[in-house]
Amino acid sequence: MCPAWICAEARGIDPRGCADVAMERVECPHCGAANRGGSTTCRMCGDLLAAGRRTSRRVQRKILRRTDFIAASRANQRATRWLLLVLAAIAVLLGYLVGWSVELSFRGPPPEAPAVWFLSRWGVLGGLGLLLLSLGWSALALSTGDRLVLRISGARPVTREQAPQLHNVVEEMAIAAGLARPAVYVIETPALNAFATGLSRRRAAIVVTRGLLETLSREELQGVVGHEMGHIVNLDMRYATAVGVTVGLVALVADLVARLAIFGGGRRSRGAGVWVGVIMLVFAVLAPVFARLVQMAVSRQREFLADATSVRLTRNPQGLIGALEKLGASQTPLDGVNRATQHLYIVNPLRNFTERASRLWATHPPIERRIHRLRNLGN
Amino acid sequence: MDIGTIILLVILLALVGGVVALYNRLVQLRNQVRNAWRQIDVQLKRRHDLIPNLVETVKDYMGYEQETLQQVIEARGRAVQTEGQGPDAAMGAEQALSGALGRLFALMENYPDLKANRNIADLTEELAATENRIAFARQFYNDSVMAKNNAVETFPSNIVASLFGFKQGSYFEIETRERDVPSVDLR
Repeated sequence: MCPAWICAEARGIDPRGCADVAMERVECPHCGAANRGGSTTCRMCGDLLAAGRRTSRRVQRKILRRTDFIAASRANQRATRWLLLVLAAIAVLLGYLVGWSVELSFRGPPPEAPAVWFLSRWGVLGGLGLLLLSLGWSALALSTGDRLVLRISGARPVTREQAPQLHNVVEEMAIAAGLARPAVYVIETPALNAFATGLSRRRAAIVVTRGLLETLSREELQGVVGHEMGHIVNLDMRYATAVGVTVGLVALVADLVARLAIFGGGRRSRGAGVWVGVIMLVFAVLAPVFARLVQMAVSRQREFLADATSVRLTRNPQGLIGALEKLGASQTPLDGVNRATQHLYIVNPLRNFTERASRLWATHPPIERRIHRLRNLGN
Repeated sequence: MDIGTIILLVILLALVGGVVALYNRLVQLRNQVRNAWRQIDVQLKRRHDLIPNLVETVKDYMGYEQETLQQVIEARGRAVQTEGQGPDAAMGAEQALSGALGRLFALMENYPDLKANRNIADLTEELAATENRIAFARQFYNDSVMAKNNAVETFPSNIVASLFGFKQGSYFEIETRERDVPSVDLR
Protein backbone atom coordinates (compact mmCIF):
# COMPACT_ATOMS: atom_id res chain seq x y z
CA MET A 1 0.00 0.00 0.00
CA CYS A 2 1.34 3.40 -0.84
CA PRO A 3 2.20 5.77 2.00
CA ALA A 4 0.20 8.46 0.27
CA TRP A 5 -2.91 6.65 1.43
CA ILE A 6 -3.50 9.28 4.07
CA CYS A 7 -4.05 12.03 1.54
CA ALA A 8 -5.85 9.60 -0.73
CA GLU A 9 -8.24 8.79 2.07
CA ALA A 10 -8.69 12.46 2.84
CA ARG A 11 -9.71 12.98 -0.73
CA GLY A 12 -12.10 10.10 -0.52
CA ILE A 13 -10.27 7.86 -2.97
CA ASP A 14 -9.66 4.20 -2.35
CA PRO A 15 -6.01 4.13 -1.24
CA ARG A 16 -5.39 0.86 -3.02
CA GLY A 17 -6.18 2.50 -6.31
CA CYS A 18 -3.25 4.83 -5.91
CA ALA A 19 -0.89 4.56 -8.85
CA ASP A 20 2.26 5.68 -7.12
CA VAL A 21 4.11 2.35 -7.38
CA ALA A 22 7.52 3.87 -6.67
CA MET A 23 6.48 4.71 -3.14
CA GLU A 24 4.96 1.32 -2.53
CA ARG A 25 6.34 -0.81 0.27
CA VAL A 26 6.52 -4.57 0.08
CA GLU A 27 6.85 -6.56 3.26
CA CYS A 28 9.31 -9.42 3.24
CA PRO A 29 7.46 -12.68 3.97
CA HIS A 30 10.51 -14.00 5.82
CA CYS A 31 11.62 -11.26 8.20
CA GLY A 32 8.92 -8.64 7.82
CA ALA A 33 11.26 -5.86 6.72
CA ALA A 34 9.80 -3.16 4.50
CA ASN A 35 11.20 -3.16 0.98
CA ARG A 36 10.79 -0.78 -1.89
CA GLY A 37 8.11 -1.82 -4.33
CA GLY A 38 9.55 -3.70 -7.27
CA SER A 39 12.67 -4.91 -5.49
CA THR A 40 13.45 -8.56 -6.07
CA THR A 41 15.22 -9.60 -2.89
CA CYS A 42 14.72 -8.48 0.68
CA ARG A 43 17.22 -5.85 1.77
CA MET A 44 17.50 -7.29 5.25
CA CYS A 45 17.58 -11.03 4.93
CA GLY A 46 18.22 -11.53 1.22
CA ASP A 47 15.10 -13.62 0.80
CA LEU A 48 13.24 -13.70 -2.47
CA LEU A 49 10.27 -11.33 -2.73
CA ALA A 50 7.17 -11.75 -4.85
CA ALA A 51 8.58 -9.52 -7.58
CA GLY A 52 11.75 -11.59 -7.63
CA ARG A 53 9.88 -14.84 -7.96
CA ARG A 54 8.39 -13.62 -11.18
CA THR A 55 11.67 -12.56 -12.69
CA SER A 56 14.67 -14.11 -14.26
CA ARG A 57 17.18 -16.70 -13.17
CA ARG A 58 19.83 -13.99 -12.80
CA VAL A 59 17.93 -12.60 -9.86
CA GLN A 60 17.35 -16.01 -8.40
CA ARG A 61 21.10 -16.53 -8.28
CA LYS A 62 21.35 -13.56 -5.92
CA ILE A 63 19.59 -15.55 -3.27
CA LEU A 64 21.76 -17.22 -0.75
CA ARG A 65 22.09 -20.85 -1.59
CA ARG A 66 21.77 -23.39 1.16
CA THR A 67 25.26 -24.19 2.21
CA ASP A 68 27.35 -25.82 4.89
CA PHE A 69 29.64 -24.10 7.33
CA ILE A 70 32.84 -25.10 5.58
CA ALA A 71 31.73 -23.58 2.28
CA ALA A 72 30.48 -20.52 4.13
CA SER A 73 33.84 -20.02 5.86
CA ARG A 74 35.63 -20.36 2.57
CA ALA A 75 33.41 -17.81 0.86
CA ASN A 76 33.93 -15.34 3.70
CA GLN A 77 37.67 -15.84 3.67
CA ARG A 78 37.75 -15.26 -0.07
CA ALA A 79 35.76 -12.07 0.37
CA THR A 80 38.18 -10.84 3.03
CA ARG A 81 41.13 -11.52 0.77
CA TRP A 82 39.62 -9.44 -2.03
CA LEU A 83 38.81 -6.61 0.33
CA LEU A 84 42.34 -6.60 1.72
CA LEU A 85 43.68 -6.48 -1.83
CA VAL A 86 41.50 -3.45 -2.57
CA LEU A 87 42.72 -1.76 0.60
CA ALA A 88 46.35 -2.45 -0.29
CA ALA A 89 45.72 -1.06 -3.77
CA ILE A 90 44.30 2.14 -2.30
CA ALA A 91 47.34 2.51 -0.04
CA VAL A 92 49.79 1.83 -2.88
CA LEU A 93 48.04 4.27 -5.22
CA LEU A 94 48.07 6.94 -2.56
CA GLY A 95 51.76 6.37 -1.83
CA TYR A 96 52.44 6.52 -5.53
CA LEU A 97 50.68 9.86 -5.80
CA VAL A 98 52.74 11.27 -2.94
CA GLY A 99 56.01 10.10 -4.45
CA TRP A 100 54.99 11.36 -7.85
CA SER A 101 54.00 14.80 -6.67
CA VAL A 102 57.16 15.13 -4.60
CA GLU A 103 59.21 14.21 -7.67
CA LEU A 104 57.34 16.73 -9.78
CA SER A 105 57.66 19.58 -7.34
CA PHE A 106 61.33 19.02 -6.57
CA ARG A 107 62.70 18.09 -9.94
CA GLY A 108 60.04 19.32 -12.27
CA PRO A 109 58.58 17.12 -15.02
CA PRO A 110 61.32 15.13 -16.73
CA PRO A 111 61.70 16.88 -20.11
CA GLU A 112 63.30 13.98 -21.94
CA ALA A 113 60.59 11.34 -21.49
CA PRO A 114 57.10 12.84 -21.25
CA ALA A 115 55.58 9.72 -22.78
CA VAL A 116 55.92 7.72 -19.60
CA TRP A 117 55.00 10.50 -17.22
CA PHE A 118 52.60 8.24 -15.42
CA LEU A 119 55.34 5.88 -14.24
CA SER A 120 57.35 7.91 -11.80
CA ARG A 121 60.20 6.21 -9.98
CA TRP A 122 59.57 8.19 -6.84
CA GLY A 123 55.92 7.26 -7.13
CA VAL A 124 56.71 3.54 -7.12
CA LEU A 125 58.99 4.09 -4.15
CA GLY A 126 56.24 6.02 -2.38
CA GLY A 127 53.70 3.27 -2.99
CA LEU A 128 55.95 0.53 -1.68
CA GLY A 129 57.03 2.77 1.18
CA LEU A 130 53.47 3.36 2.36
CA LEU A 131 52.68 -0.35 2.16
CA LEU A 132 55.78 -1.22 4.20
CA LEU A 133 55.02 1.52 6.69
CA SER A 134 51.51 0.21 7.29
CA LEU A 135 52.85 -3.34 7.70
CA GLY A 136 55.49 -2.19 10.19
CA TRP A 137 53.04 -0.06 12.11
CA SER A 138 50.58 -2.96 12.24
CA ALA A 139 53.26 -5.22 13.66
CA LEU A 140 53.97 -2.63 16.32
CA ALA A 141 50.30 -2.21 17.16
CA LEU A 142 49.88 -5.97 17.28
CA SER A 143 52.40 -6.33 20.08
CA THR A 144 50.43 -4.21 22.55
CA GLY A 145 46.80 -3.87 21.48
CA ASP A 146 44.95 -6.63 23.33
CA ARG A 147 45.52 -5.61 26.97
CA LEU A 148 44.42 -2.09 26.17
CA VAL A 149 41.07 -3.25 24.83
CA LEU A 150 40.40 -5.21 28.00
CA ARG A 151 41.16 -2.18 30.12
CA ILE A 152 38.92 0.17 28.12
CA SER A 153 35.95 -2.19 28.28
CA GLY A 154 36.13 -2.50 32.07
CA ALA A 155 36.35 -6.28 32.00
CA ARG A 156 37.80 -8.19 34.92
CA PRO A 157 38.88 -11.83 35.10
CA VAL A 158 36.62 -14.38 36.77
CA THR A 159 37.71 -17.60 38.40
CA ARG A 160 36.22 -21.02 37.78
CA GLU A 161 34.48 -20.85 41.19
CA GLN A 162 32.77 -17.57 40.36
CA ALA A 163 31.46 -18.66 36.97
CA PRO A 164 31.72 -22.42 36.58
CA GLN A 165 29.34 -22.71 33.66
CA LEU A 166 31.04 -19.99 31.65
CA HIS A 167 34.41 -21.60 32.26
CA ASN A 168 33.05 -24.97 31.22
CA VAL A 169 31.53 -23.61 28.03
CA VAL A 170 34.73 -21.77 27.13
CA GLU A 171 36.74 -24.92 27.75
CA GLU A 172 34.36 -27.01 25.64
CA MET A 173 34.67 -24.61 22.75
CA ALA A 174 38.45 -24.55 23.12
CA ILE A 175 38.48 -28.34 22.90
CA ALA A 176 36.24 -28.25 19.84
CA ALA A 177 38.60 -25.75 18.22
CA GLY A 178 41.70 -27.61 19.38
CA LEU A 179 43.15 -24.53 21.07
CA ALA A 180 44.45 -23.65 24.49
CA ARG A 181 41.75 -22.31 26.79
CA PRO A 182 41.57 -18.52 26.55
CA ALA A 183 41.33 -16.30 29.63
CA VAL A 184 37.77 -15.59 30.76
CA TYR A 185 36.57 -12.09 31.64
CA VAL A 186 33.24 -10.62 32.69
CA ILE A 187 31.94 -7.06 32.41
CA GLU A 188 29.56 -6.22 35.26
CA THR A 189 26.67 -4.72 33.31
CA PRO A 190 23.13 -5.79 32.53
CA ALA A 191 23.74 -5.16 28.82
CA LEU A 192 23.97 -8.23 26.55
CA ASN A 193 27.20 -8.46 24.63
CA ALA A 194 30.48 -10.32 24.30
CA PHE A 195 33.81 -9.94 22.57
CA ALA A 196 37.10 -11.70 22.08
CA THR A 197 40.54 -10.24 21.99
CA GLY A 198 43.99 -11.67 21.59
CA LEU A 199 46.64 -11.30 18.98
CA SER A 200 47.57 -14.93 18.84
CA ARG A 201 45.61 -18.12 19.30
CA ARG A 202 47.66 -18.96 22.39
CA ARG A 203 47.17 -15.66 24.18
CA ALA A 204 43.54 -14.75 23.87
CA ALA A 205 40.65 -13.72 26.08
CA ILE A 206 36.89 -14.07 25.87
CA VAL A 207 34.76 -11.41 27.53
CA VAL A 208 31.04 -11.62 28.22
CA THR A 209 28.73 -9.29 30.12
CA ARG A 210 26.95 -10.27 33.33
CA GLY A 211 23.62 -9.68 31.63
CA LEU A 212 24.51 -12.21 28.97
CA LEU A 213 25.37 -14.83 31.57
CA GLU A 214 22.07 -14.31 33.33
CA THR A 215 19.84 -14.16 30.28
CA LEU A 216 21.08 -16.86 27.93
CA SER A 217 20.56 -20.59 28.26
CA ARG A 218 23.59 -22.87 28.26
CA GLU A 219 23.05 -23.72 24.62
CA GLU A 220 22.84 -20.07 23.62
CA LEU A 221 25.88 -19.17 25.70
CA GLN A 222 27.72 -21.90 23.87
CA GLY A 223 26.76 -20.35 20.54
CA VAL A 224 28.06 -16.95 21.64
CA VAL A 225 31.30 -18.35 23.06
CA GLY A 226 31.67 -20.37 19.85
CA HIS A 227 31.36 -17.13 17.87
CA GLU A 228 34.08 -15.51 19.98
CA MET A 229 36.23 -18.62 19.68
CA GLY A 230 35.70 -18.24 15.95
CA HIS A 231 37.22 -14.76 16.11
CA ILE A 232 40.23 -16.25 17.90
CA VAL A 233 40.58 -19.18 15.48
CA ASN A 234 40.36 -16.87 12.48
CA LEU A 235 42.78 -14.32 14.00
CA ASP A 236 40.30 -11.49 13.52
CA MET A 237 42.06 -9.27 16.02
CA ARG A 238 45.07 -9.24 13.72
CA TYR A 239 42.96 -8.50 10.69
CA ALA A 240 41.14 -5.71 12.46
CA THR A 241 44.36 -4.14 13.77
CA ALA A 242 46.17 -4.30 10.44
CA VAL A 243 43.17 -2.93 8.55
CA GLY A 244 42.62 -0.22 11.15
CA VAL A 245 46.23 0.92 10.99
CA THR A 246 46.18 0.99 7.20
CA VAL A 247 42.95 2.96 7.09
CA GLY A 248 44.36 5.45 9.59
CA LEU A 249 47.52 5.82 7.54
CA VAL A 250 45.54 6.33 4.36
CA ALA A 251 43.52 9.08 6.03
CA LEU A 252 46.71 10.75 7.29
CA VAL A 253 48.52 10.60 3.97
CA ALA A 254 45.44 11.63 1.99
CA ASP A 255 45.30 14.75 4.12
CA LEU A 256 48.94 15.39 3.26
CA VAL A 257 48.26 14.86 -0.43
CA ALA A 258 45.36 17.28 -0.34
CA ARG A 259 47.63 19.95 1.13
CA LEU A 260 50.32 19.22 -1.43
CA ALA A 261 47.78 19.50 -4.21
CA ILE A 262 46.44 22.83 -3.00
CA PHE A 263 49.60 24.59 -1.85
CA GLY A 264 52.01 22.96 -4.28
CA GLY A 265 49.78 24.00 -7.18
CA GLY A 266 51.42 27.35 -7.74
CA ARG A 267 54.70 25.88 -8.77
CA ARG A 268 53.35 24.00 -11.74
CA SER A 269 50.44 26.00 -12.95
CA ARG A 270 50.80 25.03 -16.59
CA GLY A 271 50.27 21.89 -18.64
CA ALA A 272 50.30 18.53 -16.88
CA GLY A 273 50.78 20.23 -13.53
CA VAL A 274 47.16 21.31 -13.32
CA TRP A 275 45.93 17.83 -14.03
CA VAL A 276 48.27 16.39 -11.46
CA GLY A 277 46.77 18.73 -8.90
CA VAL A 278 43.21 17.82 -9.83
CA ILE A 279 43.82 14.08 -9.83
CA MET A 280 45.59 14.29 -6.50
CA LEU A 281 42.83 16.32 -4.92
CA VAL A 282 40.09 14.00 -6.12
CA PHE A 283 41.98 10.94 -4.96
CA ALA A 284 42.86 12.49 -1.63
CA VAL A 285 39.19 13.11 -0.97
CA LEU A 286 38.01 9.69 -2.12
CA ALA A 287 40.76 7.42 -0.75
CA PRO A 288 39.92 7.71 2.97
CA VAL A 289 36.22 7.21 2.25
CA PHE A 290 36.83 4.07 0.25
CA ALA A 291 39.39 2.78 2.72
CA ARG A 292 36.84 3.17 5.50
CA LEU A 293 34.17 1.40 3.44
CA VAL A 294 36.55 -1.49 2.87
CA GLN A 295 37.29 -1.62 6.58
CA MET A 296 33.61 -1.91 7.43
CA ALA A 297 33.11 -4.56 4.76
CA VAL A 298 36.00 -6.59 6.18
CA SER A 299 34.49 -6.30 9.63
CA ARG A 300 31.12 -7.57 8.40
CA GLN A 301 32.68 -10.48 6.56
CA ARG A 302 34.59 -11.49 9.68
CA GLU A 303 31.34 -11.45 11.66
CA PHE A 304 29.72 -13.82 9.18
CA LEU A 305 32.85 -15.96 9.29
CA ALA A 306 32.78 -16.12 13.09
CA ASP A 307 29.10 -17.13 12.96
CA ALA A 308 29.95 -19.94 10.55
CA THR A 309 32.87 -21.00 12.75
CA SER A 310 30.59 -21.04 15.78
CA VAL A 311 28.34 -23.52 14.00
CA ARG A 312 31.37 -25.58 13.00
CA LEU A 313 32.38 -25.78 16.67
CA THR A 314 28.98 -26.35 18.25
CA ARG A 315 27.30 -28.19 15.34
CA ASN A 316 24.17 -26.49 16.58
CA PRO A 317 23.02 -23.30 14.84
CA GLN A 318 19.96 -23.05 17.11
CA GLY A 319 22.03 -21.88 20.08
CA LEU A 320 23.54 -18.92 18.28
CA ILE A 321 20.24 -18.08 16.57
CA GLY A 322 18.49 -17.95 19.94
CA ALA A 323 21.28 -15.85 21.40
CA LEU A 324 21.23 -13.39 18.50
CA GLU A 325 17.47 -13.02 18.83
CA LYS A 326 17.84 -12.13 22.50
CA LEU A 327 20.79 -9.82 21.84
CA GLY A 328 18.87 -8.05 19.10
CA ALA A 329 15.84 -7.56 21.31
CA SER A 330 17.86 -6.12 24.19
CA GLN A 331 17.92 -2.35 24.50
CA THR A 332 20.28 -1.97 27.47
CA PRO A 333 23.22 0.24 26.51
CA LEU A 334 26.79 -0.85 27.15
CA ASP A 335 29.36 1.54 28.64
CA GLY A 336 33.06 1.54 27.93
CA VAL A 337 32.68 1.22 24.17
CA ASN A 338 33.99 3.64 21.60
CA ARG A 339 34.29 3.70 17.86
CA ALA A 340 37.68 2.01 18.06
CA THR A 341 36.39 -1.07 19.85
CA GLN A 342 32.84 -1.38 18.51
CA HIS A 343 33.78 -3.88 15.82
CA LEU A 344 34.99 -6.40 18.42
CA TYR A 345 31.61 -7.11 19.97
CA ILE A 346 29.26 -9.87 18.88
CA VAL A 347 26.58 -7.28 18.12
CA ASN A 348 27.42 -3.65 17.64
CA PRO A 349 26.86 -1.90 20.97
CA LEU A 350 26.73 1.61 19.52
CA ARG A 351 24.32 1.32 16.69
CA ASN A 352 20.70 0.61 16.17
CA PHE A 353 21.00 -2.65 14.25
CA THR A 354 17.97 -2.18 12.09
CA GLU A 355 19.09 1.20 10.86
CA ARG A 356 18.96 0.77 7.13
CA ALA A 357 20.27 3.97 5.61
CA SER A 358 23.86 3.35 6.65
CA ARG A 359 24.36 -0.34 6.11
CA LEU A 360 27.53 0.27 4.14
CA TRP A 361 29.01 2.01 7.16
CA ALA A 362 28.07 -0.64 9.67
CA THR A 363 30.69 -2.79 11.40
CA HIS A 364 28.20 -5.64 11.75
CA PRO A 365 25.70 -7.18 9.36
CA PRO A 366 22.08 -6.73 10.44
CA ILE A 367 21.07 -9.37 12.98
CA GLU A 368 18.18 -10.52 10.78
CA ARG A 369 20.60 -11.28 7.99
CA ARG A 370 22.96 -13.15 10.29
CA ILE A 371 20.10 -15.26 11.60
CA HIS A 372 18.93 -15.90 8.07
CA ARG A 373 22.38 -17.12 7.07
CA LEU A 374 22.58 -19.32 10.15
CA ARG A 375 19.24 -20.88 9.24
CA ASN A 376 20.67 -21.52 5.81
CA LEU A 377 23.60 -23.31 7.40
CA GLY A 378 21.29 -25.68 9.23
CA ASN A 379 21.20 -29.29 8.25
CA MET B 1 76.31 -20.33 -16.32
CA ASP B 2 73.92 -19.86 -19.16
CA ILE B 3 70.29 -18.99 -18.88
CA GLY B 4 69.14 -22.60 -19.27
CA THR B 5 70.98 -23.84 -16.19
CA ILE B 6 69.66 -20.95 -14.15
CA ILE B 7 66.08 -21.72 -15.11
CA LEU B 8 66.63 -25.39 -14.34
CA LEU B 9 68.10 -24.53 -10.95
CA VAL B 10 65.19 -22.25 -10.10
CA ILE B 11 62.66 -24.92 -11.03
CA LEU B 12 64.54 -27.50 -8.98
CA LEU B 13 64.68 -25.18 -5.99
CA ALA B 14 60.96 -24.44 -6.22
CA LEU B 15 60.22 -28.16 -6.40
CA VAL B 16 62.29 -28.96 -3.33
CA GLY B 17 60.74 -26.05 -1.45
CA GLY B 18 57.27 -27.24 -2.35
CA VAL B 19 57.97 -30.78 -1.20
CA VAL B 20 59.41 -29.53 2.10
CA ALA B 21 56.38 -27.30 2.72
CA LEU B 22 53.92 -30.11 1.94
CA TYR B 23 55.85 -32.58 4.07
CA ASN B 24 55.84 -30.20 7.04
CA ARG B 25 52.12 -29.63 6.61
CA LEU B 26 51.47 -33.36 6.61
CA VAL B 27 53.55 -33.86 9.75
CA GLN B 28 51.64 -31.05 11.42
CA LEU B 29 48.32 -32.65 10.53
CA ARG B 30 49.48 -36.05 11.72
CA ASN B 31 50.56 -34.63 15.06
CA GLN B 32 47.27 -32.81 15.39
CA VAL B 33 45.40 -36.08 14.86
CA ARG B 34 47.54 -37.80 17.50
CA ASN B 35 47.05 -34.98 19.95
CA ALA B 36 43.30 -34.99 19.39
CA TRP B 37 43.27 -38.73 20.02
CA ARG B 38 44.98 -38.24 23.37
CA GLN B 39 42.60 -35.42 24.20
CA ILE B 40 39.67 -37.84 24.07
CA ASP B 41 41.48 -40.02 26.62
CA VAL B 42 42.02 -37.04 28.90
CA GLN B 43 38.33 -36.18 28.86
CA LEU B 44 37.28 -39.78 29.48
CA LYS B 45 39.57 -39.91 32.52
CA ARG B 46 38.02 -36.70 33.77
CA ARG B 47 34.60 -38.28 33.68
CA HIS B 48 35.79 -41.28 35.65
CA ASP B 49 37.12 -38.98 38.35
CA LEU B 50 33.84 -37.14 38.69
CA ILE B 51 31.50 -40.09 39.02
CA PRO B 52 32.34 -41.24 42.62
CA ASN B 53 31.58 -37.70 43.76
CA LEU B 54 28.23 -37.71 42.01
CA VAL B 55 27.20 -41.11 43.32
CA GLU B 56 28.18 -40.12 46.86
CA THR B 57 26.05 -36.97 46.74
CA VAL B 58 23.06 -38.54 45.07
CA LYS B 59 22.98 -41.69 47.21
CA ASP B 60 21.14 -40.16 50.16
CA TYR B 61 18.36 -38.79 48.03
CA MET B 62 17.89 -41.71 45.73
CA GLY B 63 17.74 -44.65 48.10
CA TYR B 64 15.25 -46.47 45.93
CA GLU B 65 17.41 -46.32 42.86
CA GLN B 66 20.20 -48.54 44.20
CA GLU B 67 20.16 -50.62 41.06
CA THR B 68 20.84 -47.72 38.74
CA LEU B 69 23.54 -46.34 41.02
CA GLN B 70 25.13 -49.76 41.15
CA GLN B 71 25.08 -49.94 37.38
CA VAL B 72 26.85 -46.59 37.14
CA ILE B 73 29.52 -47.68 39.60
CA GLU B 74 30.10 -50.96 37.82
CA ALA B 75 30.22 -49.33 34.40
CA ARG B 76 32.74 -46.84 35.73
CA GLY B 77 34.85 -49.66 37.18
CA ARG B 78 35.03 -51.37 33.81
CA ALA B 79 35.78 -48.09 32.05
CA VAL B 80 38.61 -47.25 34.46
CA GLN B 81 40.28 -50.56 33.63
CA THR B 82 40.56 -49.56 29.99
CA GLU B 83 42.25 -46.25 30.83
CA GLY B 84 45.43 -45.58 28.93
CA GLN B 85 44.67 -48.06 26.17
CA GLY B 86 43.34 -45.41 23.84
CA PRO B 87 39.76 -44.50 23.03
CA ASP B 88 39.41 -47.39 20.59
CA ALA B 89 39.85 -50.04 23.27
CA ALA B 90 37.80 -48.09 25.75
CA MET B 91 34.85 -47.57 23.45
CA GLY B 92 32.63 -50.45 24.62
CA ALA B 93 33.05 -49.73 28.33
CA GLU B 94 32.63 -45.98 27.80
CA GLN B 95 29.42 -46.48 25.91
CA ALA B 96 28.03 -48.61 28.72
CA LEU B 97 29.01 -45.86 31.16
CA SER B 98 27.31 -43.20 29.02
CA GLY B 99 24.16 -45.31 28.96
CA ALA B 100 24.16 -45.84 32.74
CA LEU B 101 24.75 -42.14 33.36
CA GLY B 102 21.96 -41.25 30.96
CA ARG B 103 19.55 -43.44 32.93
CA LEU B 104 20.71 -41.88 36.19
CA PHE B 105 20.14 -38.38 34.85
CA ALA B 106 16.72 -39.31 33.60
CA LEU B 107 15.80 -40.69 37.04
CA MET B 108 17.15 -37.63 38.82
CA GLU B 109 14.48 -35.61 37.07
CA ASN B 110 11.96 -37.38 39.31
CA TYR B 111 13.45 -35.95 42.50
CA PRO B 112 12.59 -32.25 42.87
CA ASP B 113 14.58 -31.75 46.09
CA LEU B 114 17.55 -33.28 44.30
CA LYS B 115 17.36 -30.65 41.62
CA ALA B 116 17.08 -27.93 44.23
CA ASN B 117 20.30 -29.08 45.91
CA ARG B 118 23.12 -26.69 45.13
CA ASN B 119 25.83 -29.35 45.17
CA ILE B 120 23.88 -31.52 42.78
CA ALA B 121 23.28 -28.61 40.43
CA ASP B 122 27.01 -27.93 40.38
CA LEU B 123 27.79 -31.58 39.86
CA THR B 124 25.32 -32.06 37.04
CA GLU B 125 26.77 -28.99 35.34
CA GLU B 126 30.22 -30.55 35.69
CA LEU B 127 29.03 -33.85 34.31
CA ALA B 128 27.13 -32.23 31.46
CA ALA B 129 30.28 -30.26 30.68
CA THR B 130 32.33 -33.44 30.74
CA GLU B 131 29.95 -35.21 28.39
CA ASN B 132 30.19 -32.18 26.10
CA ARG B 133 33.97 -32.20 26.30
CA ILE B 134 34.12 -35.83 25.30
CA ALA B 135 31.80 -35.11 22.40
CA PHE B 136 33.80 -32.05 21.32
CA ALA B 137 37.10 -33.88 21.70
CA ARG B 138 35.77 -36.57 19.38
CA GLN B 139 34.47 -33.95 17.00
CA PHE B 140 37.88 -32.26 16.92
CA TYR B 141 39.53 -35.63 16.39
CA ASN B 142 37.27 -36.33 13.44
CA ASP B 143 37.83 -32.82 12.07
CA SER B 144 41.59 -33.39 12.33
CA VAL B 145 41.28 -36.73 10.60
CA MET B 146 39.29 -35.09 7.83
CA ALA B 147 41.93 -32.39 7.38
CA LYS B 148 44.68 -35.01 7.28
CA ASN B 149 42.77 -37.26 4.88
CA ASN B 150 42.10 -34.32 2.60
CA ALA B 151 45.81 -33.59 2.52
CA VAL B 152 46.72 -37.23 1.95
CA GLU B 153 44.24 -37.65 -0.88
CA THR B 154 44.36 -34.37 -2.77
CA PHE B 155 46.89 -33.31 -5.36
CA PRO B 156 49.74 -32.37 -5.00
CA SER B 157 50.17 -33.34 -1.35
CA ASN B 158 49.10 -36.93 -2.11
CA ILE B 159 52.40 -37.43 -3.99
CA VAL B 160 54.42 -36.32 -0.98
CA ALA B 161 52.17 -38.37 1.31
CA SER B 162 52.75 -41.58 -0.64
CA LEU B 163 56.48 -40.81 -0.88
CA PHE B 164 56.84 -40.60 2.90
CA GLY B 165 54.20 -43.13 3.84
CA PHE B 166 51.48 -40.92 5.33
CA LYS B 167 48.32 -42.95 5.72
CA GLN B 168 44.70 -41.97 5.95
CA GLY B 169 43.35 -41.78 9.48
CA SER B 170 40.21 -43.56 10.59
CA TYR B 171 37.25 -41.68 12.00
CA PHE B 172 35.91 -42.18 15.47
CA GLU B 173 32.58 -43.80 14.78
CA ILE B 174 29.90 -44.02 17.38
CA GLU B 175 27.85 -47.18 17.42
CA THR B 176 24.17 -46.64 16.98
CA ARG B 177 23.47 -47.85 20.49
CA GLU B 178 25.01 -44.74 22.02
CA ARG B 179 23.09 -42.47 19.72
CA ASP B 180 19.84 -43.86 21.11
CA VAL B 181 18.22 -41.70 23.71
CA PRO B 182 18.12 -43.55 27.03
CA SER B 183 14.61 -44.83 27.54
CA VAL B 184 12.75 -43.36 30.48
CA ASP B 185 10.04 -45.19 32.29
CA LEU B 186 7.34 -42.67 33.18
CA ARG B 187 5.33 -44.67 35.66
